Amino acid sequence: MSVGSQRGRWATTRGRGGPGTAAGDPALEAEIRRIGRALARASAGGSLRARVEDRGMAWLTHRPELRAALFRTVDVAPACATPAELAAHLHAFLPDGALRGLLERPGLGRVSGPAAEMAVRQMAGRFILAADVPSAAPVLAELWAEGIAGTVDLLGEKTVTPAEGAAYAQRCHEALEALHAGTAGLAARPQLESDAAGPIPRVNLSVKVTALTPLVRAHAPERGREDARRALRELLAHARDLGAHLHVDMESLDSRELILELVLDLLSEPAFSDGPSAGVVLQAYLRDAPAVLERILAWARDPRGGAGRSVPLTVRLVKGAYWDHETIQAAQHSWPSPVWADKAESDRCFEALSRRLIDAHPVLRTAVASHNLRSVAHAVAYAESRGLGPGEVEYQVLRGLGDGLGRALARAGLRSRVYAPVGDIVAGMAYLVRRLLENTANDSFLTARASGTGLARLLTAP
Amino acid sequence: MSDFANEPVLELRRASERARCSEALAELEPRLPLRVPVAVGGDRRAGESLLSVDPSAPERTVALACGASAGDVDSAVTVASAAQPAWGRRDVRARAALLRDVAAQLRGRHVELAALEVLECAKPWPEASADVAEAIDFCEYYARQAVAMADGPALAQPPGEHNRLIQRPRGVCAVIAPWNFPIAIATGMTAAALVSGNAVCLKPAEQSPGCALAILEAFLAAGLDPRLLALLPGEGEVGAGLVRHPDVATVAFTGSAAVGLEIMAATATPRPGQRGLTRVVAELGGKNCMLVDADADLDDVIPAALASAFGFAGQKCSATSRLLVHARVAAAVTERLCGALDGQRVGPAREFTTDVPAVIEAAARDRIEATVAAAGSSAEVVRVADLPAADGFWVAPTLVLDPPAGAEVREEEIFGPVLSVEPVADMAEACERVAAQRQALTGSVFSRNPATIAAVAAVTPVGNLYVNRGSTGAMVGRQPFGGNRQSGTGAKAGGPGYLSHFCDPVVICEDTTRHGIPA
Repeated sequence: MSVGSQRGRWATTRGRGGPGTAAGDPALEAEIRRIGRALARASAGGSLRARVEDRGMAWLTHRPELRAALFRTVDVAPACATPAELAAHLHAFLPDGALRGLLERPGLGRVSGPAAEMAVRQMAGRFILAADVPSAAPVLAELWAEGIAGTVDLLGEKTVTPAEGAAYAQRCHEALEALHAGTAGLAARPQLESDAAGPIPRVNLSVKVTALTPLVRAHAPERGREDARRALRELLAHARDLGAHLHVDMESLDSRELILELVLDLLSEPAFSDGPSAGVVLQAYLRDAPAVLERILAWARDPRGGAGRSVPLTVRLVKGAYWDHETIQAAQHSWPSPVWADKAESDRCFEALSRRLIDAHPVLRTAVASHNLRSVAHAVAYAESRGLGPGEVEYQVLRGLGDGLGRALARAGLRSRVYAPVGDIVAGMAYLVRRLLENTANDSFLTARASGTGLARLLTAP
Repeated sequence: MSDFANEPVLELRRASERARCSEALAELEPRLPLRVPVAVGGDRRAGESLLSVDPSAPERTVALACGASAGDVDSAVTVASAAQPAWGRRDVRARAALLRDVAAQLRGRHVELAALEVLECAKPWPEASADVAEAIDFCEYYARQAVAMADGPALAQPPGEHNRLIQRPRGVCAVIAPWNFPIAIATGMTAAALVSGNAVCLKPAEQSPGCALAILEAFLAAGLDPRLLALLPGEGEVGAGLVRHPDVATVAFTGSAAVGLEIMAATATPRPGQRGLTRVVAELGGKNCMLVDADADLDDVIPAALASAFGFAGQKCSATSRLLVHARVAAAVTERLCGALDGQRVGPAREFTTDVPAVIEAAARDRIEATVAAAGSSAEVVRVADLPAADGFWVAPTLVLDPPAGAEVREEEIFGPVLSVEPVADMAEACERVAAQRQALTGSVFSRNPATIAAVAAVTPVGNLYVNRGSTGAMVGRQPFGGNRQSGTGAKAGGPGYLSHFCDPVVICEDTTRHGIPA
């Protein structure tokens, strides 16, 4: 399978690259619906277990008390020394009622701890690829065989000491080595390994600056920035030497300034003018995301910045995973909320940013990371309308949440990459709970889909 | 009260807000030192007997104040006594409106006043802004409370009888304020007394007269009759003079337990000519414990412990000074705390990169150092290694690991960046240690088990218990603040019952029947 052979699959009758194509354009909307339906068909199914879990999640969405009890049980599981302790927590979390009564029966009370523990491991297993990088390698190889690339995220506890930051950096270095060794023998997959701008590394590691330094201070970004500078520079150098891609994740707004400044600053250093391939994240739920993109673009076009590099910067476009945190933090401080209040506004912003990114091709590489069929189909249709080949934009999904969509994208000849967290369950708990919340949020696309909202409605412009 | 909302603190994560702060500092610096007079009625007397310096750079004088004399105290109380009755008869809505004008004055000077706190008290920017915002909150909150309280509570009204409970102002209130929340606490006590119809003689802390002047300016700019608010800078004898004055009906005091107990002793016996009992509204020290259960999320515990113990160099009565950790996680907590300690940067308050500023004065530094030295004789002490080379009242953030029972660091309020880390068998033992204390101001508990949280909440003696968060940062209208036992007289600042402490309750019962004619 080559990029060329896939070119025509979604080719439309209208000409490519027609300027003026924008949201609301009827031809584009028709194309979005067509692509969306095709992706929906191709991503349907999945394993029985995943389908059962999805039904369960959808059911939980409308039972907030039970949802809270179960997620709190998941959250505390690693801190419990014995199944009995976990059972005691579960009992305390459950609202008064039949379920709690059931647990108070002697027989069930005894098994509820081990059962809860098993259930937690089960859930973790869906979202976390493997406990460590060596055991992740075969799973990544299977995905690769299906035409899906990966980016590995090393789960970890919060970094509060320099030693913890150094340990995380060390794990990242080891992961780069292990992934480098583990991907060497994979069969060639041209649509995963190159685009018009050049080669795309097989090894792709997502790193968190806030795990490299304990000195993240929202009101003093320079402290974390200077503390993490050396560690991130060494990781970039290592990635460059191995020909790997290093993607720097974004978290809450409190650390955005520090992360963005640090990454752009380091990539401007002469040592990195020929690599590595690197990326940052743009969060569409932030009201000022368009201004952030303009700042990234200005850097990318600056001869002392990205224009001086032979490898374009990748921008992973996401909605953002800290909506509740940002909203609560702003409300508690009486600040204007930094995030869009209405999900449709985030969706519209996501589409506008998709277009701006695609228009900027090839100054930047774009990775569209969403499970929202409409958002994804919009990007596919728009890229196509701008005359971009299917390999020119990357699509990313999360392990356990977007597996079907990831496969559908791959089958359509698009570059599909799964974000694959690796780590033990203790370290992965915060990640796991975020994913569970996302999967059962009232207004999430996945919830809407699982509860049977019609495809036509799901594909309507936000 | 439905329309009360907390004043936003500066959003310092935005570079533009930080730039505003730096500009305000640059504008303030050439105006120093501020001249703070004794202000009684319309009269102002200048002087230079009191000097407040920047604790981060003691060679810089921030304010020169005139120390009030015994005569000043006497005339201040006399002038206030004469003006108070008319003020007390004013419609409560007029007094409330004045408070809201004061809030507007403070709001307009938010960044400037935060800058003043940065220099005069070495209060770091985030906390300085929070202090100004809290002062505004007190004004807005008490303005609404006063109006709501004027209606009185619902009383039973049988046929032929009309009952009501009204609140009368008490007269002259002496406000004796601390330097650690230099604008918020002084403003809060003053606002509460004034809106309730009292007159105020304000004795600010000798370390923060510049901030006190800003408070006086805000009330006067809002249109307050100057006879109703006297400013009496000075040291202990000014406060003592006020407390002993027979015409002072109420003493509102926030400060150390030792001084608080002196005030209570001094006011216990009425002076010759004194008709009422002097009421003391006191907010005293704490010895606050953070309880960490085995199921706590240590990722949350460590940052909360650092912020609660070392924020503003531990100079908050709500600061955490003991960490009572379940034995199962004690080693992990200790290791992570020790590892995180060096990240606590000690430096000038004006730098946004500073975590732990200088303490307020040389005497405080020497007192804290003596306590740490004593602790070192019976326990392991871990301290931040790097202190700024420049002059300043620096104290290294300090962990004292497992000090023995009876050690000073376990029993006394240190009011500095010192945290005692004590393993306990379980949360029941932690609660026993809390119960054994004579202070009961704030506390916090980290656990993910609702049953544990309920058990701790059921027995805790503290005035403010925080669950799964640090022990500092009470917000007006959200966490009414005040301690029990020897930590205070039980008044909750920023809460619904606070104003009643500045009033005398009067019940009026009227027989409304006359020859069977209903009213």
